[in-house]
Amino acid sequence: MTGVFTGKRGIAFLLALIVIAAAPWLLNSAYWRGILVLCAMNVLLALSLNLVLGYTGQLNLGQSAFFGIGAYVSTILIKTYGWNFWLAALAAVAAAGLVGLALAAFAARLRGHYLAIASLGFAVITYQVLVNWESVTQGVRGIYGILPPVPNAVALFYLVAGIGLLVYFLLDNLVHSPVGDTLRAIREDEVSAAALGVNGAVWKAFAFGLGAAIAGLAGCFYPGFVGTLVPDAFGIVESFTMMAMVIVGGMGTMIGPVIGAVVLTFLPELLRGFGELRLMIYGVALTLVVLFMPGGMVQAWIAFKNKLA
Amino acid sequence: MTDLLALVVQQSVNGIYLGCLYVMVALGLTLIYGVLNQINFAHADFVTVGAFSAFFTVTRFATKVLGIPDTGAYLLSLFSALGAGALLGWIVSAAVFAPLRRRGADELRPLIATIGVSVLLENGQLALFGPIPYQFDSPLARETIRLGPIFFSGQSALVVAVSVAAIAALYAFMRFTFMGKALRAVAQDRETAGLMGINENLVIALTIVIASALAGVAGAMLGPVVVLTPFTGASLIVKAFAIVIIGGFGNMEGTIIAGLLVGIIEAFTVQYLGSGLIDLVVFAMLLLMLVVRPTGLIAEHKEENV
Repeated sequence: MTGVFTGKRGIAFLLALIVIAAAPWLLNSAYWRGILVLCAMNVLLALSLNLVLGYTGQLNLGQSAFFGIGAYVSTILIKTYGWNFWLAALAAVAAAGLVGLALAAFAARLRGHYLAIASLGFAVITYQVLVNWESVTQGVRGIYGILPPVPNAVALFYLVAGIGLLVYFLLDNLVHSPVGDTLRAIREDEVSAAALGVNGAVWKAFAFGLGAAIAGLAGCFYPGFVGTLVPDAFGIVESFTMMAMVIVGGMGTMIGPVIGAVVLTFLPELLRGFGELRLMIYGVALTLVVLFMPGGMVQAWIAFKNKLA
Repeated sequence: MTDLLALVVQQSVNGIYLGCLYVMVALGLTLIYGVLNQINFAHADFVTVGAFSAFFTVTRFATKVLGIPDTGAYLLSLFSALGAGALLGWIVSAAVFAPLRRRGADELRPLIATIGVSVLLENGQLALFGPIPYQFDSPLARETIRLGPIFFSGQSALVVAVSVAAIAALYAFMRFTFMGKALRAVAQDRETAGLMGINENLVIALTIVIASALAGVAGAMLGPVVVLTPFTGASLIVKAFAIVIIGGFGNMEGTIIAGLLVGIIEAFTVQYLGSGLIDLVVFAMLLLMLVVRPTGLIAEHKEENV
């Protein structure tokens, strides 16, 4: 085992730092800096879902709910109860993680499409609670005038991207540890894993809860970035966007979802010139990627390299 | 007391009408799942396409070109929606499901690929028709039928009649025709059915076409009673999934019962709790169902899967 920041991983880490540091100065308009912040948040979300979907094989369509729980818990603690941002963020992450654990405990028996629909149902219920519980969430009227924890977009980007890099680093260590092997064993064959003494339910709940907590963390930065908070930001469409990022990039790899998040954040922006056709092209692209790159962009790239070699 | 009874019966009637619409949409999902073990996420967008094709049949083609009056025009639009749904189903089957099947894809990829199809259909219709809601009239919606203290519109009578007829036709097809038998065989065991000389690709394509045609007809019946936008169907998809799960994935009888049940529960939720809570109640029921009986109302026996 080499040191943490030496060898190939050290170089990759350094490169990532340079890219993050340079990005707001290469894309230096207010508009593009906003997109960069969004991109960093999407990377966090894609990483969170990939742990559940890619490494543990749980078809989770409810990730938008945890994103929303993080956003609402942190904002309400700050706006209504006057908490400090970081304390509120901590509470929000804990809340999202605990709800994730509770759902996972509940859904332990479910797999495949059943889990997919149960988690989707959970996302719908969360959305409906955000809409209907007006005394706390303000419902569809929304919460206004939310300030970001740092003064400008560049600082916010550095903050979220820095946290994204840290989370990537921690998850990378996790999936390359015996815990990662356990999760993959469950993904490949839960019954065989159980025969080897792996408690599938516990580890699945662990991955689900950790994924939910990370999505909740991403949620803490969203309201300050947008300035307002409405339930519509956490509809099920958001879950599908996250899933598309993981699949398009390459699920079950660490770098894949990051690439997927970057591509799918910038693609719609680059297509803005096409006006109304923009989302149509997005839909076609999504379908084509699944049809022609079933393993995502990372797998396609590896196959391409092997062909050249 | 009689007032209460009348109210309960009235809301049950409303619920059955709503439930029939749900059954028409959810049955297609169940059919495809039974044969293919895959989910078509764009299924509810076929409902929207059906509704728009009905709209143009009623307002343009039938009345302006053929000169058919109100009721005839609307009945004709049911068939145009059926055709539009079937055509769309065939395209999606050939362009998405068949290539994925050849590559041996898992359950996840068709789901994502059809999410792409859904985005394409919704935004394609948005580009074509714009965001302003369309309105078209079914002459039957203006008629009110009165049975004692119970009222219902001609449109809801039509919805129930068409749904019952469609389900009966589907059962007859499955039971009495060779293709229907082949379909059940493929649902039971695709490989063995293939070895017996059944053209499984044809059977799967046919299943998707039938399922999509049902969704199209549902669209034509839904169109006159809702505000029609490119996103009308999309709001149905999650509920249709919930119905399929509550009924038991791939089980037709279960889906029919669950669809009617959800329709009735919705009607009573509107009456007693308020319409804002519909989704909350339906999905709480879904989660409860998954805890108590994850196999659905009617357990999934592989041999009667369709």
